[in-house]
Amino acid sequence: MPAEFGATPWGRAWVRTIESTSTAGPNALLPRARTLARNTTTVVAAGTGHVEADVAVSGEVCRVRIDLPVWPDETQAEAARLVAKAMAEHRGMAAGDLPDMLEADFRRHAISIAVRLEEQHSGCTCRARPRPCVHILATIYALAQLVDERPALAVELRSATAKVTVAADPDWVVLSDLDPAGFYGD
Amino acid sequence: MTELSGRLQATFVPAEDAIAWWGVAELDDAVREHGLPMGRPGVCRLAVADRDGVRPASVPVRFADLDAARQGLLMLDPRARVGASLRAWRDAARLLDADDEAFGWLGARMPPAAHAVLNADGTAITAAPTLLAQFRQAVATRIALRSTGIATELRPYQVHGVAWLSARPGLGHGGILADEMGLGKTVQAICMLATRRSAAPHLVICPTSLIGNWRRELARFAPATPVVGYHGASRALPQSYSPGTVVVTSYPVLRKDEPLANTAWDVVILDEAQQIKNPEALASRAAAQLSAAVRIAMTGTPVENRLEELWSVLNVTNPGLLGTRGRFRQRFVAPIEQRRSATAAAALNRMVGPHLLRRTKAEVAADLPPKQYSTIVCTMTDEQARLYREAVGKAFAAGLGDGIERSGRVLALLTALKQICNHPAQYLHEDTAQPGRSGKFDRATEMLTEVVEQDDRVLVFTQYRAMGELLSKHFGTALGVGPIPFLHGGLSTQRRDQLVHAFQEDDDAPPVLLLSLRAAGFGLNLTRASHVMHYDRWWNPAVEEQATDRAHRIGQLRTLNVHTLVTGGTIEDHIAQMHENKRGVAEIVSGDTQAALARLSDDDLHAVLALDPGAFA
Repeated sequence: MPAEFGATPWGRAWVRTIESTSTAGPNALLPRARTLARNTTTVVAAGTGHVEADVAVSGEVCRVRIDLPVWPDETQAEAARLVAKAMAEHRGMAAGDLPDMLEADFRRHAISIAVRLEEQHSGCTCRARPRPCVHILATIYALAQLVDERPALAVELRSATAKVTVAADPDWVVLSDLDPAGFYGD
Repeated sequence: MTELSGRLQATFVPAEDAIAWWGVAELDDAVREHGLPMGRPGVCRLAVADRDGVRPASVPVRFADLDAARQGLLMLDPRARVGASLRAWRDAARLLDADDEAFGWLGARMPPAAHAVLNADGTAITAAPTLLAQFRQAVATRIALRSTGIATELRPYQVHGVAWLSARPGLGHGGILADEMGLGKTVQAICMLATRRSAAPHLVICPTSLIGNWRRELARFAPATPVVGYHGASRALPQSYSPGTVVVTSYPVLRKDEPLANTAWDVVILDEAQQIKNPEALASRAAAQLSAAVRIAMTGTPVENRLEELWSVLNVTNPGLLGTRGRFRQRFVAPIEQRRSATAAAALNRMVGPHLLRRTKAEVAADLPPKQYSTIVCTMTDEQARLYREAVGKAFAAGLGDGIERSGRVLALLTALKQICNHPAQYLHEDTAQPGRSGKFDRATEMLTEVVEQDDRVLVFTQYRAMGELLSKHFGTALGVGPIPFLHGGLSTQRRDQLVHAFQEDDDAPPVLLLSLRAAGFGLNLTRASHVMHYDRWWNPAVEEQATDRAHRIGQLRTLNVHTLVTGGTIEDHIAQMHENKRGVAEIVSGDTQAALARLSDDDLHAVLALDPGAFA
């Protein structure tokens, strides 16, 4: 069975930001963060430049928001080019997926998918010190799982322009997009 | 309360193969006033609008059959004060022979009410161009069905199924027809094949035990369709095909057959697609490599809940849809099975939904009769055919005598033949009945597996104590639901009551109950069963019906499916056909079948008993 966190190289890049071996020994909060991610963390939003999650701990909910710097314009352009090239070489990818080759391509071009902890601007409603608190770590684990499920999210987090997702399903119209005034047409 | 628009609305509802009239309080009056067909009453999930927004609702409607609705729309008074949605569908009815551009314009100006059909979770409605395309497909399907001379009246959900299947080739990919058992998947597939008279032949792949049934059903529902059986050692594909030819073969043949692999097929149907649930299996690989315009899988088991199997089947019908197997595990299997990820499950549903059509009996209950009968023609194994021929040959060679002696000998021969049809182990007095030796036995196992997986309950009748014991033992291991009880005359009244009570009341009791036909004549109330299977024939329809009624209660809302197993080409089959056609020796049809057979001349008797080679070709 695939790893619980970081089953794909895309999610793994995010896991590595908190399980980094370069720091002085492993963070003692990580086991608890994984438990929280597993059981009580709900990512409420994950889009270009930010992630928000609710982490429930003994009846209370901590709200976490992490702001992620988007890629500079030239990096976004480069990423878009690499995505287009990879998708052309891998026609018929399943919806929301990206070829793992692309992740290697990004690394070769020094484009980092994930954001190192020290470059993230994170906030949590808990009072714990030091930062990042266990709730922020849990949020990153949960984010890694979302990225595993839909690798395209990895690129969306860092770029507003690199179009990797297909447009909304043309066969359906979401109710909230409908204007009640014109619904019956007369 | 639904905010009504005040004017009569119309929406095409593909699943009902009908146009729904709705939107006013006095619906029946409004429909009548405008001279539209009344259709059948129903409740439909539609989007409605009020001051606050657009929301999902259960709306009372009248469903007008598509043909009648089109006629009504064409006749509609142009000055009629009706909703814009209704006028839009009148325009659609007029446009039918028009080009795509005209439909494009119509799609652009249809109000949402005209395409207010909700998705399963009530968050979105079908886009106008999509619904118009489905409307055109449905109309084209009906026209094609009429001109092909399909010899049956399809139910509305079945017409929708045929339209759904027929749309697959144009969309460039296959799909899975996963209707619950008893809803008529086979007839829908046959209609799809029969209405596609392509130059390239079609291929049906099914378990060996079902080959005879497919051929029979093709001949019954689509008599004009050329059919070629392709199995057995001396099998051969024809040099050329007349348009729309259907070749019927089995999974064991598919596994390693070059001619099948070298033919360019139009539609390939994979019946009982559990056979390709393992992607490593030879059959799965061979199916994926067939050259075909489109591959359709059929299964009654809810594959959508078994992710690895779902991947395997879709890998054949819709290659690439779910990505590679390894990636599918990373993205979906691990998240959904290990941590019940709602996002992964929702994403998977969105990806698979358009390619899988599953209706349950509960969903289409309004279309179903209280009792639905089906005869399943099972194909003999080589061992059965050999034993059967030997038994007939020996009996006639020894002579049957006359008078009382003749009755006795004919009866003994009939019993032997029926035992061979059931399972060679019954005939040979063996303790255990293995799979692979009897078509009927294998088919019964497959069907019961499906029933059990659907969480339904089933009664299985046999007239033989020995066969009941063999079935009980086999099902006990094959179905994985614990020991299967057998209610027969040798049990104490108390024990019988216990079995009946457990079946009716106990949620943990096995969902299968075997009964001896004789012991189950009266007084048993087993209405919790939604399926009845007659494993062998009593040849007295009244007795069989009495047994069937153990599970049927007048006024019962749920449909009872009655499945009768028959071994193709044998005495079972001959007599079943006489009963069905009400033709043949009068006493065989109406009276004591066995006594009537004993009175036949040797030649006539031989004609009834001998194995019909046509059933094997």
